[in-house]
Amino acid sequence: MSNNNLFLPVGFPRAPLANGVGRWICQLQRLTFKFCKNYPSSRGMREFLEFELLDFTKKNPGIVVYVKPRRHRAPNLTAEYLNGEKQIVDCRNFSYEEVKKWVSLLRSQSGRGTVRLLKMWHTDHPSIQGPWSPFVNRDPKLNWVEFPNEDLSQPIYIEKSATEKLIEIFEEQQRIERQPKQE
Amino acid sequence: MALGGHLIRHLGAFFSHRTALLLRPVTQSCNTFCVPIRLSSHAISLSQKTLLNSKSVTDESQPEPPSEADKIITSDVLLKVNQQIESKSHGRLFAVIHLCGKQFKVTTEDIVVVEGYWPPNIGDKLNLKKILLVGGSDFTLIGRPLLPHGLASVEATVVEKSMSHTKTRFRKKRRKQYMRINFQRIEYTMLRINSIEISENVNTKKDVEGLEDTIF
Repeated sequence: MSNNNLFLPVGFPRAPLANGVGRWICQLQRLTFKFCKNYPSSRGMREFLEFELLDFTKKNPGIVVYVKPRRHRAPNLTAEYLNGEKQIVDCRNFSYEEVKKWVSLLRSQSGRGTVRLLKMWHTDHPSIQGPWSPFVNRDPKLNWVEFPNEDLSQPIYIEKSATEKLIEIFEEQQRIERQPKQE
Repeated sequence: MALGGHLIRHLGAFFSHRTALLLRPVTQSCNTFCVPIRLSSHAISLSQKTLLNSKSVTDESQPEPPSEADKIITSDVLLKVNQQIESKSHGRLFAVIHLCGKQFKVTTEDIVVVEGYWPPNIGDKLNLKKILLVGGSDFTLIGRPLLPHGLASVEATVVEKSMSHTKTRFRKKRRKQYMRINFQRIEYTMLRINSIEISENVNTKKDVEGLEDTIF
């Protein structure tokens, strides 16, 4: 087992350019399909271009799509994002479905790359009612207590010792014995 | 928080709705929604009373009938809260939402990440309906367990759908010649909370309830 993920970049959930506040922008800007017209390793890619590409471009007018045939080389997908990042997916011997899945993943990412998320939540306003302190929801009378105060210096609850419990039982017995029998 | 809990119990007794109402901590000076001193002192004395005679608190089957003072406090608080809701002077709101089996405390412009397969697509606008709690700086509406339908609305946008880093799943049983290693990536869906709004007055009785999502 490896601990490779310990050396991965870590981060918190963030969206670039306040994306989603007011408006939302697809972060993928350019997508390049590189493939070979006759090698079998590009077969899935060619099928995708044949059956799916036009639908994809119609559904995503904001993404520029390039199709680049090149002879006798392995296919790949190159995605360029609004933040200037570039991601390349090697699509050698990918089936049609696999290409489709990777295209949809590249489309929905933000180009930040894979980071190990430390939290699943991000906020700019951590507290609205004010952070909790020991004095929240306390009796305001505490404000004018003078210290040292004997009552407040006591522990809130002291457990009875075994001796005390025994004494209590003994006294209870004594009390019952002392009572006049009703007969 | 004990005081808060007792207040809910007290005030909740008169609510026709599945909503309890929590006052702002009385020790702090209020800015816009000012709880009168008379009211705050009452609130404290009430809670202390309930703390002292613990029998009445534990006896859930027969709650104490609300006294006249309690009723006045309740209507007073409700009036103030409703005034704030109508004039939208409550400021920034926060909500606790139930999303895909997890609970998140969110305000507007927050980002929340849902792990695992989840159908919504990027750019989709969602209306999150399981709201457990909504609060402003001066009041809190607590659902029992959820807030009634239509009282509050939380809207979100799906900002991004990506994958986690490659996680290693390694299993081994000692002395049993059993060893498995799997690598997996989990889907992440990132949500941006767009708005949190309270759309109705608190403690209003509707003619028909619970049919908001029904298709006839």
